[in-house]
Amino acid sequence: MKSPLRMSTALVVPGVLALGLLGACGSNDPVAAPSTGGKVTIEVSIDQGLEQGAIDAFNARVKQFQTANPDITVKSKEYTWTGTTFAAELAGGTLPDVFPIPFTDGRGLIERKQIADLSPLIAKLPYAEKFNPKVAQAGEAADGKMWAIPIAAYGQGLHYNRTLFTQAGLDPDKPPTTWAEVRTDAKAIADKTGQAGYSEMTQSNTGGWILTTLAYANGGRVEAVDGDKVTATIDTPAMKKVLEYLKSLRWDDNSMGANFLYDWGTINQDFAAGKIGMYVSGGGNYGNLFTQNGLKPADYGVTILPLEGSDAGVLGGGTLAAVSAKASPAQQAASVKWIDYYYMQKLANKDAAILDAQTTKDAGQPVGAPQLPVFDRATYDESQTWIKGLINVPIDQMKPFTDGIFDQPLLPEPASSTQKLYAALDPVVQAVLTDKNADVDKLLADAQVTVQSILGKP
Amino acid sequence: MTIPSPVTPALVPFEVGPPDAAGPPGPGISTAARRRRPAKKPTTELGDRGIVSMADWRRARVRRAMRSLQAVLLGLLFVAGLGPILWLAKSAITPTQDTLRTPLSIFPHGIAWANLGTAWTRVHIDQYFFNTVIIAAGSWLVQLLVATTAGYALSVLRPRYGKAITGLVLGTLFVPSIVLLVPLYLTVLNPPLLNGSLLNTFWAVWLPAGASAFNVMLVKRFFDNLPREVFEAARVDGAGPFRLFWSVVLPMSRPIIGVVSVFAIIASWKDFLWPMLVLPNPALQPLSVRLPALQRFIELDVFLAALAISTIIPVVLFLVFQRMFLRGAGFGGAVKG
Amino acid sequence: MTVLDRPTGGTRHQRRTPRSWLRGGGLSTLIFMLPLLVVFGVFSWFPIGRAVVMSVQTTNLVTAPEFVGLQNFRDVLADPLLWTAVKNTGYFALLALVFGYPLPLILAVLMSEVRRFKGLFSALAYLPVVVPPVVAVLLWKFFYDGSPTGVFNTILGWIHLGPYPWLQNATTAMPSLVLEATWAAAGGTVIIYLAALTSVAPELYDAAEVDGASVLGKIWHVTMPQLRGILLITFILQIIGTAQVFLEPFLFTGGGPANSTLTVLLLIYNYAFANSLGGDYGAATALSIMLAAVLAILSGLYFRVTRSWSTS
Repeated sequence: MKSPLRMSTALVVPGVLALGLLGACGSNDPVAAPSTGGKVTIEVSIDQGLEQGAIDAFNARVKQFQTANPDITVKSKEYTWTGTTFAAELAGGTLPDVFPIPFTDGRGLIERKQIADLSPLIAKLPYAEKFNPKVAQAGEAADGKMWAIPIAAYGQGLHYNRTLFTQAGLDPDKPPTTWAEVRTDAKAIADKTGQAGYSEMTQSNTGGWILTTLAYANGGRVEAVDGDKVTATIDTPAMKKVLEYLKSLRWDDNSMGANFLYDWGTINQDFAAGKIGMYVSGGGNYGNLFTQNGLKPADYGVTILPLEGSDAGVLGGGTLAAVSAKASPAQQAASVKWIDYYYMQKLANKDAAILDAQTTKDAGQPVGAPQLPVFDRATYDESQTWIKGLINVPIDQMKPFTDGIFDQPLLPEPASSTQKLYAALDPVVQAVLTDKNADVDKLLADAQVTVQSILGKP
Repeated sequence: MTIPSPVTPALVPFEVGPPDAAGPPGPGISTAARRRRPAKKPTTELGDRGIVSMADWRRARVRRAMRSLQAVLLGLLFVAGLGPILWLAKSAITPTQDTLRTPLSIFPHGIAWANLGTAWTRVHIDQYFFNTVIIAAGSWLVQLLVATTAGYALSVLRPRYGKAITGLVLGTLFVPSIVLLVPLYLTVLNPPLLNGSLLNTFWAVWLPAGASAFNVMLVKRFFDNLPREVFEAARVDGAGPFRLFWSVVLPMSRPIIGVVSVFAIIASWKDFLWPMLVLPNPALQPLSVRLPALQRFIELDVFLAALAISTIIPVVLFLVFQRMFLRGAGFGGAVKG
Repeated sequence: MTVLDRPTGGTRHQRRTPRSWLRGGGLSTLIFMLPLLVVFGVFSWFPIGRAVVMSVQTTNLVTAPEFVGLQNFRDVLADPLLWTAVKNTGYFALLALVFGYPLPLILAVLMSEVRRFKGLFSALAYLPVVVPPVVAVLLWKFFYDGSPTGVFNTILGWIHLGPYPWLQNATTAMPSLVLEATWAAAGGTVIIYLAALTSVAPELYDAAEVDGASVLGKIWHVTMPQLRGILLITFILQIIGTAQVFLEPFLFTGGGPANSTLTVLLLIYNYAFANSLGGDYGAATALSIMLAAVLAILSGLYFRVTRSWSTS
């Protein structure tokens, strides 16, 4: 048995290097089954465009992992999930072995078997039963088996620039708590500072994402699921209220600045550059703002979204770590080890949490930005106490968010054709923000038809 | 693009040699250019004239009107042609806040030379520039290889099946590259003959670039016009088809190789959509693909420095080889004529 | 053509056997033909065939392709976005004609009269063409900043105009795209026209002057007719080019605001590549083929024009 094993490992290593060239081979290679003797190489994702400090922190963690797992060689690849290229990269086999995907794509990829079924491996993890059920379902197949591991969850928050608040004569420790206050504060910022009081993402599906968030916060929903039947609920009073609200901020108050074609990356950049007073995005966004956009910590504040109307809730989402369906069983096993080590241990294990926080901190990177618990609340609260002394983010400035988010009802993103639905809503919000005479009723009626036809397709 | 540059060279016809230029070698450069050149030095008197006659030019009123008109024209060209580039050069070394607040002030509050260094090292412009060069060089090589060998085979060796091949190549001229976008992409994902995907390899850009019917026809036409006697003499001297190609035909075809090279390199330098699709790995991307993505990760001043660096290289090349560029562009016209 | 027309002649009417083929240089010919055959075979002929097949299939890279007849075409034609895209593309083409077509001609006619520093004029006009297109778009995107402190709005503010929203408004977005595209491409056309202008025989102007023609009269009656052919060609080429516009809407606006700059090519791209869970490759190829049919008609026209023109 010794020689075939060694041969297989010899094949695996260059095989991974040439991942792009090998296409579909290797997935069902029986000789490469998980074993203790064989060496295996996996390619893991590292965010694109990181500051050197963040890259150093990542490399330090890789080193620690390889020391603990001498059989596994970890290679990193710059990769950030992007809706426009993901399908191509998946089909082309150019993704790393371990890659992050948003909650919204989990179910679709699992149904098509486009990611590896990790459920036997995940079941062996000590915290397998401890996942927050609302979070866990994003990575589960219809039968409840978990294929992809939730590594981070967020609830939407309202990010604001404390410096602009102060300049506008507002109290940065008292962020708005109703949508009406958001409006008056936005106007004050726009009038006094000349910067955008409130901005909104509108491009590459983020327009639909934020619009849905606002609809949720006003008691609306965008899809109604009844058994197998999914109905679009776009043309609703809640959505109308949201659009009329945006319309008044934009056209009555002129407090939304001059850019209405933002996506996730560009709005972060303008916010970090001090050009935006407030915007809605994931509550854990601080890390990106700091590492990729050079945000000044003193500027930063975040609070919860005002929830108005019965049945209002905060939209939550998150990130799954998935493994390429083309990874060999040995690579799958190694990948789960990596996910466990790099993404999960810091959430579940005290020593790991401290080590992670210390390493991250030593590299000058943020520790302690708010997240939603991937596990149950108790585990989360405990984990926060472990790293207390190492937190280097302005946690007091995040208090309005962290104090309130756990009491807000968390609503998952629309389950059916999520990204397509978001894409269909992009032009709606763009129209409202760029056309003074946009007819909200007609926009909603049209969008209702469009989305319904999307949902009707398989 | 208003004039289809990279997308449709396939649609530019291959009627190269001007109809009245009977004598090869040297099809390619237009009659216009040729007629022009001897007249280059003595422009003032006699000879070549424009719409306004020499007699008119001598009249003070006309001269003054023309001079002021041309001064205005020169001013406008300065603003439109050079203005944005100068602005970019200035902003590349201006701190972000200055560029945002007063984008048009001539003297920034401080000069941030560091921007250029940051762009080159931290943003790895050097690497993307290197990728751009590799991609251009490879595309150029593949295009030349295909065009010269095919032109030679079709024009000089003329196998029986040559006509059919010519027809098939010609036919692709009528298929705009856009039709190929998706099927070609899927072909690169899973190519026939080869085992494995070409995605994230430079071959995915190089090889499809070679399938340019325009190049093949251009070169074939040129070879058609080469004097057959020379080939025959070489053959009598015992040169085989390879010798004939390497030592006779290629040395004679320098002009056309130059033309194909200029087109190939410019097209590759400008290409965006295709390399974006087939090179999703940032480490392999050329500048054109990487710059838009970088925009969201780096500060404005560094980003503008990166843009400036990406611009300076072609601009310097242009200024150095101005004659060749303009002749190439004019040649485009001659081709079209 | 001379007698030496067929250098490998001789073999033509003989009975061909593999041996005579080999001796006649058949193999070496094939070797020379090989790069063409491989490259065109794999990257041109095969994908063209594949496009036709894919347009009548559903292809999603996950399950095996399935024949669906003309369903992809019906889907595309029923997509309301198609008509938006067609309208936008037509609008882009029209604007590009209005802005971009006469401008290079005017510039070229003016520049052809320049006596001194002619090289400087052409170099300045051509400079924007040298700027990498992506850089040009990203730079102009910054110029187009819609706030009063944006570059263009500052300049226009000096003469008390604006601020304009440029890319941030459905009405002004498309003209903004065309403006940049014109800036980027005009220089190339100017150089083409300049070359053509120098080939106008001076005697024609002399003759017109004898008839007492004014400067404008000479332009209208001598220059224009002489440039007729090249003008028609740049016209058709420009239409073909603008029908495939992608870079500007993709990088400037992503098709927005509210789909006002969504072009046909961008729609094809979106069909194929925008959905993170897998593209609708069937619809994308079906639309490509329809666009190609339109373009083929145009290029056929173009072909006829250049033919007749170069033989006239």
